Parts: sequence; C-alpha cells; structure tokens
Amino acid sequence: MKKLWLLILGAAAGSAVFADYPSTYDPPPHVAFVITNATVDVGEGQGEFKGWVSVAAGKIDAIGAMDQPRPSAALEINAAGRWLTPGVIDVHSHLGDYPSPGYRAHSDGNEATSPVTAEVWAEHSVWPQDPQFPLALAGGVTTLQVLPGSANLFGGRSVVLKNIWSRTVQGMKFPGAPYGLKMACGENPKRVYGSKSKAPSTRMGNFAGYRKAWIDAQEYQKKAQRYEKALGEYELWRTSNQGEADYKEPPSPPKRNLQMETLVGVLAGEILVHNHCYRADEMAQIIDLSHEFGYQVTAFHHAVEAYKIGDLLAANNICSAMWADWWQFKLESFDGIKENVAMVQAAGACAIVHSDSATGIQRLNQEAAKAMAAGQRLGLAVDASVALTWITRNAAQALGVADQTGTIAVGKMADLVLWSHPPMSVYARAETVFIDGIRRLDRATGLSPVTDFELGQREEVF
Amino acid sequence: MKKLLLVMGLLSVTSLSAEELLIKNVRLVETSFQSGEMTDLRIVNGIIAQIGAGLVPKEGAAIFDGGSHPVTPGFIDSGTTIGLAEVRGLGVSHDGEQAGDDMTAGFQVYLALNDASSLIPIASNDGITRGLIVPEAGDSNYAGQSALVRFKQGPSFLQQKAMAQHLYLREGDRGLAGGSRSSALAGALHALEASARYDRQQRAFNTNKNRPFDLDESDLLALSAVRLGNMPLVVHVDRAADIKKVVTAFSAYPDLRLILAGAAEAWKVAALLSRQNIPVLINVMDNLPKNFDRLGARLDQATLLAEAGVTFAFLSGSPYSETRSLSQAAGIAVAQGLSWQQALAAITSAPAAIWGLEGLGRLEVGAIADLVIWNGDPLEVTSAPLAVLVDGEWVNLETRQGALAKRYVELLNLK
Repeated sequence: MKKLWLLILGAAAGSAVFADYPSTYDPPPHVAFVITNATVDVGEGQGEFKGWVSVAAGKIDAIGAMDQPRPSAALEINAAGRWLTPGVIDVHSHLGDYPSPGYRAHSDGNEATSPVTAEVWAEHSVWPQDPQFPLALAGGVTTLQVLPGSANLFGGRSVVLKNIWSRTVQGMKFPGAPYGLKMACGENPKRVYGSKSKAPSTRMGNFAGYRKAWIDAQEYQKKAQRYEKALGEYELWRTSNQGEADYKEPPSPPKRNLQMETLVGVLAGEILVHNHCYRADEMAQIIDLSHEFGYQVTAFHHAVEAYKIGDLLAANNICSAMWADWWQFKLESFDGIKENVAMVQAAGACAIVHSDSATGIQRLNQEAAKAMAAGQRLGLAVDASVALTWITRNAAQALGVADQTGTIAVGKMADLVLWSHPPMSVYARAETVFIDGIRRLDRATGLSPVTDFELGQREEVF
Repeated sequence: MKKLLLVMGLLSVTSLSAEELLIKNVRLVETSFQSGEMTDLRIVNGIIAQIGAGLVPKEGAAIFDGGSHPVTPGFIDSGTTIGLAEVRGLGVSHDGEQAGDDMTAGFQVYLALNDASSLIPIASNDGITRGLIVPEAGDSNYAGQSALVRFKQGPSFLQQKAMAQHLYLREGDRGLAGGSRSSALAGALHALEASARYDRQQRAFNTNKNRPFDLDESDLLALSAVRLGNMPLVVHVDRAADIKKVVTAFSAYPDLRLILAGAAEAWKVAALLSRQNIPVLINVMDNLPKNFDRLGARLDQATLLAEAGVTFAFLSGSPYSETRSLSQAAGIAVAQGLSWQQALAAITSAPAAIWGLEGLGRLEVGAIADLVIWNGDPLEVTSAPLAVLVDGEWVNLETRQGALAKRYVELLNLK
C-alpha cells in the first residue's frame, strides 16, 4: 500500500500521517534442520519423490532426493513413513471475524449497513484469540485469507495471515502480502438490501451499484492524479526556483476517502479482487464489468458453476476458488457438482479448493481429495499431486504470495506439513506443521497453540 | 432374527415368483478395509438368503459380478433433513419446523416429505440407504416427530411415519421457553406430566369435564407415547451440566427411552451415559466451540465414548455441507483413534440397534438386502459406491449433477 500512497500523495505530503497498519510478524530464530526420508510433494503437480528438504533461517535452502548429498544441519528430522507438503493455504476464511464462540458480540464479518463498504478492513475485526485458528493449524493450514462477508457489493479489504498465535492481528499479518477487495454477486447483496427496501434488490441493481462505485473511483483516481501532477510541478518549481519572489503554495491533497482508496488500489493493480460469485452467467458479466473499468478479477470465490465457463476463466486468467461438494443450500448453488474443481483444472484454468468454513478449513486436503476422485470417476486426468496444488500453489497465486510460499522451493518460506498418511487420504493427519521454519504444531510432543480463550477451560482439546 | 429367517424360508420354498439376485465376488469388510472374505450373496425377495463362496444361481436369477470390490451394509443417517426442503436457503420450501405454536410435540415431518427430492440420490451416492428425517426447533422445545426413510425416490421413500420425539435444549433453544434453560427443562417435564393426566382423565377430556389442558390433544398423545416408551425421546443438548440434569430428570419415567443428540460434551459424562445405557448421536465434524455450551467440543469424541463403553451413532445433520458424508465422518473418527470396525458400526449396526431396525445394519443371512458395493475403502473420501441396493432393489445413482457434468464436459471438450 505504501506505493499507492506515494502515487496519490507524493513523498512530501505527510505519508507519516497515513502510515499503514504494518505487520509485526517476526518469527523467532531457530536452528537449521533437515527433514529426511520423507515422501515429498513440492506442490507443483509433478508427483512425489523420496527425499530431503533442508531449512535455514526460516527459508528452504536445499531440496534433494535421498541419493543426493544433503547439507549437514544441527537437527535432522527423520520423516520415514511421512509425507511432506507445502503448508495448506485457505483463500477464503472468516476465522477471527466470525470466531467461536459465535455470539453477536463477536460477529464482525459483515458491515451490512450499506451495499458499498470498500472502506472497511477485515483485519480491524479479527480476534486473534479465536480458538478456530489452532483447529485450522491441526489441518495443516499455515496461511489464510480472512475476508469480510458477502452482504455487500463491495465488502471491504481482506487480510492475509500467518496461522500463528499472536497477541495482535498485526503479529499475524503476512508481511508484504497484497490486500484483497471482497466483492459479492448474486443473492446476498440483493437479499440484504432488498429486504430493507433499499438498492440493490435485484441482480441488475447489483450491477448498477458496482458500476456507480467504479465510476466514482475513476473520478477519485483522476483527482489524485491531478494532485500528483500539481505536486510534481510544485516540487520542480521549489527545487529549481528556491528563494525567488514568485513564491507558490504547495497544492493541497484531496480529502482522503477510505472507500475510494481501496477501489483506486484495485484500478492501480495493487489490491486483488476476490469476487464471491456462484453462477457462470454472473461471472461472465463480472468479467465484462472488469473490462469496462480496466481491472483484473483475481479469483471468483464459491464458484460452483465455474465448470460451465472454464474456457472463459482460463482466457481471462482468473482463478476459481471452490468447495468440493457444497450445493443446493441456496438457489444460486443449485447447479453445484462434485466434478467442478477437476473440470476447471481440465479446462486449463486456475483451480483452488477453499473452505469458507471453520469446519472445512480443518480438512482442505480431504475436500481436495473428494474433488479429485470425482474428476477421476469422470475420466479426467487429475492425480493427487495436481489436487495438492489446489490447496497450496494455486491458493498462494491467488493471494499474490506465490513468490514467497505455496510450494517447497529454494528461497521460499519454510511453511511445511508432515502428514501421517498420503495427504489425499481421510486418515491423513498433520503430524507436524512448520511456519517459517518454526514448529507450530507437533502431535508427538503435544505442541499446539492454546489461545487465551481456551486457557483454563479448553486446553485438553487438541 | 430367527422369526425373520423362518418367514424367509417359507417364502423361498413356496413362492414360485421368488426373485433371486446373486451378487458374485464381493469382499465382506467388517473389521478393516484390508481384511474381509471374498464371497457371494444370494438375495431372495429383498432378503439376504445365503452368504458363501461359489454360490450357484437358481434358474432365472439375476447375476451381478461384484468384481472383488468391498461391500458394506447401507449406511444409516441418524439425523438429516432430506425431503423437507429442496433448497434450504429459500425458506419457503422448508418444511422441517412448525412455527407460531409454543408446543409442537404433535408435529410430524412425514406429512411434508417429498419422495421425489433431488437430494435423495445424493444420499445414495454417499452410500446412505436409510435415515431419520428430523424436525428442527420451531417455537417449541418439543419440535415434533422424526420419520424414517429409505433413500430411494418414489412411493417407498417413507418407511415409518413416527420414529422419535425431538426435544431441543441447547443454548440457543432456551429462548423458546422464556429465556432460561430452567424453564425449558421444567416445561418439557410439565408437558410429560400433562400427558399422564390426560391418560388418566381421557373420558373426562372427551366430554369436556376435566380441568382444561394447555396442550393440544395431538401433543398430549405424542408425549404419552414418549412417557410410556412407545417412542424414544431424542434430546438435543450439548453442555455436560445439562446432560446430567436431563438424565436425572427423565429417569423419573422408567419406561422412557432417552437418546442424546449433538451432545458436544457427552465425553465429559461418558461414565454416566455408559452406566445408564443412554445412546448418543454425534456429528463427528462438529467440533467448534460455537457457544459456551460447547466449550468441550472435540474431533475425537467418538474415540472417548468408545473407550467409556457408550453406544453411539453418527448423524450428518444436513445434506447441504461437508458434514453430509457419513463415510468421511467415519474416516475422520478413525484418524482420531477409533477403530475402523467401530467407525463402520457407527453408521451401520449401531444406529440399527439404537433405532430398533431389525434386519438392517449388518450383512448376514436373514438381513434386509441394503448394501453398497464400493470402488475402494468405504471410509475413504476418494471412494464412491459402484452400486447400491435397498430392500434388494438397485438404486438409480444418476443425479442431475451428473447430467450437468456430462453436458459441460462435452460442451468444453474436456476429455
């Protein structure tokens, strides 16, 4: 976001006042280690091999097959009979903003008071003591995106978190991860506002609402650009004409508008659009909307009908985040099919399995496995290694952090899971989970975070 | 079972129109996926007549080659809502609760069931052949009576109109009784007492000469059945403290058959439940501490109940989410320490015993031919039924979802 503010306000115009809410995540140092004898799948969909992975300073520093020489490390972890994968990533979660216990006092996911609330940030709702975080860790989840809910056309900014125990949400924020903007199609916005006799009450009302907001954002962007230009001219004058008589006042910046800042962030390509959208026909129209205003949709979430338009999604470079088998709970999910994820994959588009559920996030590997098996029954060529990319590499790509995590590759964060069984098996449990090389869960020693909420009343639950 | 066998024998001998289906080469898995004998199953008139290797078909028998695949009894879901709504979120088409009445013990879901629901074959594709369709709490803690169904579209869908009475005493349900769980439990007991008075004063009731009841006759009759043990009472309750109070309160009725459902903290009072032989219906995946009643919710509850000797079965709760798959639930329970055999039992023989479903939940001679032939480990998420038999008849596994997949695979040329 800093770059954006430089763009809008210029370096001299008081960026200190508009400081970000920076990540304070700072993993402690640890001794270098090497995991050996593991069945390794690096998360590129290319299959598995018996090998080792060495970790130093929180990063993966070498990978090899068992017959290849490995660096000596202070600690050697023998993972014989275990499967090693990248940490699981959930691109759609409400942990912290819809925590457990789930009372109204805790229910902070939907600012359902106006259809456009691009100004709210999910991180300001996240309760870091939500006991659902350790449950997700027990399912191997190392990174997750927490989103605002889907009551609004523009729900607000998302935040990408490392799944660690912290006193503050800043302590969980994934350093440098781009923000997301939550948008929503279909039934939810029109139901929430239609029931209050406000716009939108129809799908066409939804679209009018999106377009109006983007037009406003374009205006705001122009204003910011005019200011930036004037500031540039002023700076030029100041540096070249110092001390001369025709003294100029610096231009005053436009009044900040948080809603517009987020939308302009999307138009500038700095904030990624995560669009809740079930139906294929609506996704196709959202793609037109993105063309009208010149922005990129990063991912459609809950894309239960993505299988109908895999070609269109591939051509537009849009990921689909999907459930394995949720359907028919609402009319726009009526055409959900188990083969969805595999069909999107087969169409050459980016496929992701997401949860949107504090239950489902505990077993994204099983959900990927269900989707894989359904594809195989249909005769599609999807194997366990490809299915793993749906909850690792492709998820990292949609969050804009694929250069840092999502696969086991030299230089990336050591976000790793050791599984008891092949990860696509229902019997697989995450036995050991590392985040940036730090062991955060280890069943053998009983290591698992205990949130403040659980302390003294729920500690026995692993 | 002996009686059933006798009847069976008569049928196969005397009835010339006896229909035989011979399933060849299936592996009877009971204790683990790895073990289990290769065998044939002879099914006559919907009943398993013979189990053994190398069975010879009678003349005119239909033969099905099981291809050495594993076979299990059809799964039994101890609580779902299939048939009460096509699309849950629409509100308008949901028939699982009665609102606007502060006492709905007389409410029966069976009158609302849709035997053509598109969700029925979804259950079949999860290997589920029977299930309880459960009412949800409307405006009354007594929600009414569940029905037993067989998952097969058509007139045979409904098996039994009234299986159990459902009483909701979870944290959110006390609102139905004036805001206190004290009044909720007291109200539930008061209604049982009223049913006893109704039984005593039936003649006076019929001639309007008795002290008036604050309950309808349908409620009084329903609660009489519960009190006298003619219909089990399923209490949906989570907190350990509440479970103890429920067990104590209802033990005043010696004939009443108490079953707990949900029961997030049942493991904390497992010794009591084991001692009193009270079965528990649990949703394995439902391990969130969603409220203060559920602080003890945990994923390995089944393992703890098994260790304490408590009888339990699994329920899905809903056809709409990941919790609907009973095989996945059972697989998770295994990963959490339950034996494979006990996990399979929790969706087959255990619910059959809890609900008194004679002939269901086991593959043995004389049993009803509800079975599933699987393409792999029945508890694996990657496995699916190859064929499903209900009452000895094949179930159509085709779904509109399958038709959609086929249409778009062809349209996008994905193969």
